[in-house]
Amino acid sequence: MATTETAATRMSAAAAAGSGGKYLTFMLGREEYGLPVLKVREIIKVMDITHVPQVAAHVLGVINLRGKVIPVIDLRRKFGFPAQEHTERTCIIVAEVELAQATVMMGVVVDAVSEVVNVLASDVDRAPDFGGHDDTDYILGLAKVKGSVKILLDLDRVLGSDGPIAIRPI
Amino acid sequence: MSPSPRKKTAKAARAAVDAELATFASDPELAEMFVADGLDHLGTIEQTVLKLETSPADLELVNDLFRPFHTIKGNAGVLGIGSVEAFSHKLETLLDLARSGSHPMGPIEIELVLNAVDLLRLMIKELPARAAGEVVTDVASRCQHVMAGVDAAIASGATAAVTATGPGEETTDSGATWLAEDSTVKVSTSKLDALVDMVGELVIAQAILAEDPALLRSGDERLSRQLAQVKRITGDIQRDAMSMRMVPIRRTFQKMVRLTRDLSKTFNKPTTVAIVGEETELDRKLVEQLTDPLMHMVRNTIDHGIEPPDVRAAAGKPPTAVISLKAFHRAGGVVVEIADDGAGLDTERIAARAVALGLIPDAGVLTAAEIHQLIFRPGFSTADRVTELSGRGVGMDVVRRNIQALRGRIEIQTERGRGTTFSLQLPLTLAIVDGLVLRVGQDRFVIPTPAVKESLRPRPEDVHTTHGRPCMVQVRERLIPLLHLGDAFGIRGTRERISDGTVVIAEDNGRPVALVVDELLGKREVVIRSLGEMFRGVSGIAGGAILGDGRIGLILDTGGLLALAARTASSGAM
Repeated sequence: MATTETAATRMSAAAAAGSGGKYLTFMLGREEYGLPVLKVREIIKVMDITHVPQVAAHVLGVINLRGKVIPVIDLRRKFGFPAQEHTERTCIIVAEVELAQATVMMGVVVDAVSEVVNVLASDVDRAPDFGGHDDTDYILGLAKVKGSVKILLDLDRVLGSDGPIAIRPI
Repeated sequence: MSPSPRKKTAKAARAAVDAELATFASDPELAEMFVADGLDHLGTIEQTVLKLETSPADLELVNDLFRPFHTIKGNAGVLGIGSVEAFSHKLETLLDLARSGSHPMGPIEIELVLNAVDLLRLMIKELPARAAGEVVTDVASRCQHVMAGVDAAIASGATAAVTATGPGEETTDSGATWLAEDSTVKVSTSKLDALVDMVGELVIAQAILAEDPALLRSGDERLSRQLAQVKRITGDIQRDAMSMRMVPIRRTFQKMVRLTRDLSKTFNKPTTVAIVGEETELDRKLVEQLTDPLMHMVRNTIDHGIEPPDVRAAAGKPPTAVISLKAFHRAGGVVVEIADDGAGLDTERIAARAVALGLIPDAGVLTAAEIHQLIFRPGFSTADRVTELSGRGVGMDVVRRNIQALRGRIEIQTERGRGTTFSLQLPLTLAIVDGLVLRVGQDRFVIPTPAVKESLRPRPEDVHTTHGRPCMVQVRERLIPLLHLGDAFGIRGTRERISDGTVVIAEDNGRPVALVVDELLGKREVVIRSLGEMFRGVSGIAGGAILGDGRIGLILDTGGLLALAARTASSGAM
C-alpha cells in the first residue's frame, strides 16, 4: 500500500509538473533546457570544486555552499556534449534531487542561465519516443515558448536514476 | 498545474489511517514526543525488571516498574491509542497487585513483563509508520498471548484478597506527565544535529576570518583583541552545543544486561553483568553506533569465552560468570571495556586455526599479541560448531570494522584461565577530528592524526620498485607498501620523483602504508562532513572538511587506502 501510494504521488507530481508551470531555463550548447522552478534553490557562480577520485566523469566533485558539502555535476558531460572551458556566464544551479529516497542538494553546471518562463500545459508535447530505450525518460516534455523549443527535464531522473555515482574501476 | 490528483491521494491516505491514530497523525509534535517518551520509559522498565530479577522481594522496585507503565498507559489514553493503552493497562494491573504485596513477582511474571516491553517497544516504534498508512508488524496475537499470560498469573497467584486499587494515589493523576516536567526541554535530535552543524560552520567561519590576509596585514591591535574575543565565545558555544548531544552510555550498557540475561539462558552458562561508569557521556551518534559491536562482543564472550558451569567448578571458579562493562574518559577520549572471567583466548588453538585457514603461513614467527589480533580477520572463527548467534566467522571482523568506522581502536588483554578484556578506545565525538593537511598537486587532503605514525623524506636507495614502478619503501629494516596518492586519485601536476616529495607513514590496525604526497601543510582541527549518499563506495575517502580558505579538503581513510595500495600492487599497473 505504501509503495502504490508513493508511486501515485510521484506520478501525480510528474504529471502536474509535465503539464505546465514555472521553469528555469538554461543553455547547454545551442539547446535550451528547463527545470521546474520549485526544485531550484539558488544559482551561484562557478567556484572552486574539490575533485573526488574514482567517480564517473560527469561528477565534478564537491563544493562548500555556506558550510554544506554538496556534489556538483557537469550536465554537458552527462549528456555527452563536448567539454568546454568555463566562461563568464557558466553557472551552478543548486537544485533538490531525490536520490535513494532522500532529498539532497546538488549543483548542476550549465553554460548559462536564461530566465524563468511560465509554460502552459497546452504548449507541452511529450518527448518523442526514439525506440525501446529509456533514454528520454528524464524528459518531462518539449515546451514551445515564444517561438523556441525548450526541453523540460526531470532532474530526479537525470541524476537520481543511476543512484550512487558509478564508481570507476582503478 | 492541476492540483486535483495530489488532493485525491492525500484523502485516500487519511482514510487509511487507523481510527485510533487520528490524534497521533494530526499532531506530529505530540506524536514524536509520545514515541520518544514511551521508548524512554520502556528502557527504564527493562532496567528495573532486570534488577528485580535479582531481588524479587523489593517492593520499591515493583513500584518503580508500575509508574512508567502507568505513564505510558496515560499518555496513550490522552492520544486515544487504544491498543497501547489496553495492553499497558493489563501489565499495570499485574504490577499493581505486586506492589501491594498480594502477588509475588516470580520468574513467570518477569518474563511476561519483558515480553510486554519488547512488544510495546515494537508497537510504539512503528506508530509513525502506521500513522502514515504503512503496513506494520502484526502484534495482535502476541499481545493476546501475553495478556492471557497475565490473566493466568493473576488467577493462579492472587488467592489472597485481590485489592484492585493499590495504595498510592498516583493512579488517579492525569496521565500526561510529560506536560508537567519543565526542568528539561525535549528537543528533536535532528534539530540538535542541525545546531551542531551550524556551530561547526561558525567555528570554520571564525577560523577563515582569523586567517584572512587583509586582517593579518593590518596589524590593528584592537581588532585582533576583538577577534580573540569572538574566537573564545565561538569555542564556548561549540563546547556547549557538543555537550548537548552527549548522552550517558547507560542505555547501551542496559541493553547488554538484557542480552546477557537472555543468552546466559540460551547457552546455559549463568552470567551476570557488573557495570562501572554508566554515567560516562559520549556523542549520541557514537553511542548509537556502539551498540551493535558491543552486542557482537557480548555474544562472543558468552559463547566462546565463558566456560560451562561444570568446567568452571572444576577450575575452582564460581559457577556464575561475570562480564564487567566499564566506561571512562581517558586522554580526551572514551574507553569502553568488556571483561570476562572466562577461559581466556587459546593462543595455540587460534594459531592452529589461522594456519589451517591459510590466514598465516606459520605461527612460529608471531607473538602472542599478534596471534590474538587474528580473531579480527574476516572469516576467522574457532568455534567448532556454528551456533545460532556466533561462530559463523562474521563476528569480530565486523566489530573491528565498526570500531574503526568510529575512528576507534580495539585492544585485547587475555590470560589463560583468567579471562579476556577487550578495550575499545573511542573519540569523544565524531564531529571533529585532529588532522594533518597534505598537498598533492593542487589538491589538499586531511589525514586524521591518530592514523599517522611518522613522515619522512625517503632516500632514493630506500625506494624499491617492481616492474620499474616504485612499490615499497624501506624504513628502518621494514618494507612498507607505497601508495602514490597523485596516481591513485588521478591528480595531475604531482612531483615526479618520490624522493623529492614526502612520505607519510599511516597505520590501520597495525598494517602500515606509505603515502606519497608533495608537501605537509600542517596540523589543524576539522569538522568532518559526510560527502553524502552519492559518494558512498569511494574507497580511501572518509568525508570532507572545510579548510581555512573555505575550500573542501577530502579526509583520507587509511583502511581504504591500504585496500587501494593492495589493489594497485596486485594489478601491477594503473
